[in-house]
Amino acid sequence: MAAIAKRKKEKITEPKVKITWKEVKSQKTLLIWSAFIVLYGIIFCYLPLGGWLMGFQNYRPKDGLLHSQFVGLAKFRQLFSDATFLRVIRNTLAMGVINLAATFFMAILFAILLNDIKSKGGKKVVQTISYLPHFLSWIIVTGILHDALSGTGIVNELLLKFGVLDQPLNFFAHPKYFWPIVAFANVWKETGWNAIIYLSAITSIDPSLYEAASIDGAGRWAKIKYITLPGIRPTIMILLLMNVGNVLNAGFEIQYLLGNGLVQSVSQTIDIYVLKWGISQNDFAIGTAAGIFKSFVSIVLIVIANEIAKRYGEERLF
Amino acid sequence: MQLFHKKKKTSVGDTIFVVCNTLFMICFVLITLYPILNTLAISFNDGTDALRGGIYLWPRKFTLKNYITVLQKDNLVTGAYISVARTVIGTLLSLACNAVLAFIVSRKRFMFKKQLSLFWVITMYVNGGMIPTFLLYKNLGLTNSFWVYVIPGMFSAFNMLVIRTYMNGIPESLEESAQLDGAGYTTVFLKIISPLCKPVYATVALFVAVGQWNSWFDAMLYNRMSSNLTTLQYELMKLLSSVTNQGNSVEAMKNAAGAVTPTSVRAAATVLTMLPIVCLYPFLQRYFVTGLTIGGVKE
Amino acid sequence: MKRKKFVSLLLLAAMTTALAGTQSVKADDEIKEFTAFFAVPGAEINDDNEIQQMIAEITGAKCKETWLTGQTAQEAVGTLIAGGEYPDFIEGNEGTTQLYDAGALVALDDYIDNYPNIKEFLTEEEWDKLRQDDGHIYWIPQFSNIYGEEKATTHNDEAFWIQTRVLEWADYPEIHTMDQYFDLIEKYNEANPEMEDGTANIPYTILCDDWRYFCLENASQFLDGYPNDGCVMVDPETLEVIDYNTTPTAKAYFGKLNEEFKKGIVDPESFTQTYDEYIAKLSTGRVLGMIDQWWDFAYTVNDALKQQGLDKQGCNYVPLPITIEEGMKNQWHNSGGVLNVSSGLAITTSCEDVEGALQFVNDLLSQEVLDLRYWGVEGVDYEVDENGEYYRTEEMRMTAADTAYKASHICNYSYFPQYSGTSRDGINAMQPQFQPKEFYDSLCDDVKKCFAAYGAETYVDMLGTSEAPGPWYPMWSYSGTMTTNTPGGMARLKIDEIKHEYLPKVVMADDFDSAWEEYMGVYDSCDPQSFLDEIQAEVNRRVEEAAKYQ
Repeated sequence: MAAIAKRKKEKITEPKVKITWKEVKSQKTLLIWSAFIVLYGIIFCYLPLGGWLMGFQNYRPKDGLLHSQFVGLAKFRQLFSDATFLRVIRNTLAMGVINLAATFFMAILFAILLNDIKSKGGKKVVQTISYLPHFLSWIIVTGILHDALSGTGIVNELLLKFGVLDQPLNFFAHPKYFWPIVAFANVWKETGWNAIIYLSAITSIDPSLYEAASIDGAGRWAKIKYITLPGIRPTIMILLLMNVGNVLNAGFEIQYLLGNGLVQSVSQTIDIYVLKWGISQNDFAIGTAAGIFKSFVSIVLIVIANEIAKRYGEERLF
Repeated sequence: MQLFHKKKKTSVGDTIFVVCNTLFMICFVLITLYPILNTLAISFNDGTDALRGGIYLWPRKFTLKNYITVLQKDNLVTGAYISVARTVIGTLLSLACNAVLAFIVSRKRFMFKKQLSLFWVITMYVNGGMIPTFLLYKNLGLTNSFWVYVIPGMFSAFNMLVIRTYMNGIPESLEESAQLDGAGYTTVFLKIISPLCKPVYATVALFVAVGQWNSWFDAMLYNRMSSNLTTLQYELMKLLSSVTNQGNSVEAMKNAAGAVTPTSVRAAATVLTMLPIVCLYPFLQRYFVTGLTIGGVKE
Repeated sequence: MKRKKFVSLLLLAAMTTALAGTQSVKADDEIKEFTAFFAVPGAEINDDNEIQQMIAEITGAKCKETWLTGQTAQEAVGTLIAGGEYPDFIEGNEGTTQLYDAGALVALDDYIDNYPNIKEFLTEEEWDKLRQDDGHIYWIPQFSNIYGEEKATTHNDEAFWIQTRVLEWADYPEIHTMDQYFDLIEKYNEANPEMEDGTANIPYTILCDDWRYFCLENASQFLDGYPNDGCVMVDPETLEVIDYNTTPTAKAYFGKLNEEFKKGIVDPESFTQTYDEYIAKLSTGRVLGMIDQWWDFAYTVNDALKQQGLDKQGCNYVPLPITIEEGMKNQWHNSGGVLNVSSGLAITTSCEDVEGALQFVNDLLSQEVLDLRYWGVEGVDYEVDENGEYYRTEEMRMTAADTAYKASHICNYSYFPQYSGTSRDGINAMQPQFQPKEFYDSLCDDVKKCFAAYGAETYVDMLGTSEAPGPWYPMWSYSGTMTTNTPGGMARLKIDEIKHEYLPKVVMADDFDSAWEEYMGVYDSCDPQSFLDEIQAEVNRRVEEAAKYQ
């Protein structure tokens, strides 16, 4: 138990390293490698950001980035004065948060429960099956969902049978069901896949901890609570931090495929908006402006989240 | 003795837990298995018949024709070659690069640890857009070349962070003792850290391999005119997109209408591309199903 | 150890392939090879396609075609322009204006006179309609071009469709109005609520999936007896633009749908079903009637019905000449071609052999090649009878529809200029589906019977046909090019957006009148007048241009 207690209390401490000539010399290898890596990063990840100029231009392909007319913040003003855009931000955020919470929770739960299965064969089979839906495209998954939730689908059939409903309910006609359906679809498709990371993290937990806990008379719940969860806590934190920055990337395809006119006020996301009001209108700048906005929000979010993690001594991004 | 010990400890709570867990797993398996079985059933069903819907777990009108249609697609062999090549090369390169990067930023004493992490974390959330990226690759001579498949994806912040988190969990004492023996960073990385990181390497390799295998957009965007550099997924996308009809031009519809590829062909294509990558899984799975004892680590 | 060896071998193999892959393959010296990109989805043909090879032997050239995959036309064209490299031929679709703006296209007017088949393809007036604001011609519209006499068989466009079993049950009545149409469907459904196998009928369904909601949206223009301008109605006398969204007919039409919805005649899933689900419903033969474009359902649904023998139960669809009131002239079907000036086949500045490329297009329009493109190979894809008339056996028809066969054998060059109408031999149709006998033979018995009852021979006869509307027609070729850069384009997009939401609401409303009022309120806030003004300006421009030729 001592080991467990220690693990729990352990916080990540930052050794203060003073930059001295000796330090530089001893880290020579690391520095050289870093230099190459940074060079690569600048070329492949930061250089294309020159394209952000487009968000401040009336971009026309014939003039290119360098000769298009500059319009300052006009595109941003256009976006934020459009009630539709504000609505799609709300939708994107809402779906992003719901999806994040649902998929995150399910993946961890699944990984932990799976780890607790004693039969090795069973474990392998369950895991292999669980991650297969990841390979299906959204068009297939949404097709099946549409079938299952239609008036004559299995869900309505069950609800009618158990007397929950007295007539079939058209789930796709009511805006209130849309977000939960999207969240469910995400959980369905990605839980097994997302769990892989946690399963691999669980392997780093020293098995002797479990043995010691057994001897001390800990039950399964206790072991999960005091060994497994703390063991994968750094992984959970890192993924949570990364995904917090992704809440505005709630998707395009699934909403596009599941949406319809009746629910469009809650189904449209930023990406759908960009396609419809930007790219389809030959206006690439709108897409870039929306992209810059998304990046800005993401970075603000992760910086805040990272600060919080730092305050609590958790694993963090940087 | 131990067996006896364990048995005695099995409480009512534990039994309930096991029952619930098993039930949960069974439900979970059924619900995730369904879409796969459904896709399989449709892939073996006659295309025109499948239009009527109502196929669940078993084909109604059995045929192999969908698979034949897919397999007769032109350039499939070239595509398969390139796909395998990019998956193998891309995965190895990306794994090596991200492991090195993660190693660097997980060194507690490294002076730019924080800055370098931040540098990469930001790349996850910024994106110059399709056109600037296209221009960059074109100027670097990456268009119409195989290397556009592997070079741009060598480093990824996500994979780096996953590996870094794992490396952070490895006790520093190991590294310190090695360094006392005079080992440099390269030796520590290759001989001490990497062998312990097998599970996370397997995870990242799986992620990268699946990403490589499934991607087609780069083949379309950068190598459209080089049919000898096509990939399997791109060929199948071409076959399928004649159905998807994202365009809303009437003539396009009229033109494509005669060429409609039924859902069953899509299902067959899905099954065919899923197979190879799914087969890869059991090889990697042993790294994270069997609890790996970190050899000789005692705190 | 063994595994390591295997891995390194695999790696080696992969590397060699990758390197070998970068070497380009030299094409046959004899045959010119062009490249083409069409910014529309389409089916690619194999590199060793048989008919493509035959055409290459005749013309000395072939063209490798690529199609839009996973992008919009605008994106694809935008990237091409940024890169500055183009294929030899291009069809920009909705990105055409961008290509023109970017100076990516070669002006064709100086060349056209040298190529008789191209020259002949359009009239002088039509060529002039294609001139851009710099006075040059850059693209050739490929479609709806009639050679010789028009051979109208299938009504490829929009109509209210009904299953032949409904008409047969009522002893083939004359149906002219919307009220009669729904009345008949109601009565039939009351008497026969189920199909032979016990499946319940769906009396009427509406497709409302994304852009395909036109089936719901634009019916009122036809009900008022106007042709398919697609976005407005144009009064042929005063040349005034009329908004079909707000007419009394529009209100009556949606009011009728609302009434039928409450009665349970309109499928309650109409507004949430996807296109796939809609096709699935039609394919089971359960749906008695709907409004749609023929090309949107018939190619897939007819095959499915036939396969299940549902044609014997009379589940095939025929169109009805419906208007809002009795005695109006309907314009569901117009004769004559439709020139879409907004896009077409163009040659890019990257093409090193413009003359060779045009020669290729010219050769593709020769009768020999046209026959190869659309009929195929004599003795393989079609037969010729003693009168020189082409026909196909049932087996040939089946093979021609096979995806794999299409890829390996058939080469339509479907986005190169093409003809419908009569072949230059004066006997046959340019394309099989327009050959009257070929068309009639491929019909199912229930449709033949139904046609006979109405004294019709083709789908078009069921509707009757009208002369081509005035010189402005069709306005959709203009509205499709509008963007949010102008107030009218902005209004158009907003209207489109709110109609997607409000039309279903109106049809499903408990209180139709107040729902309609709410819809009209929201509609007016989109500033429809600015849209109408821009359309009006274009109508005037087109009419003025046309006046120069009279």
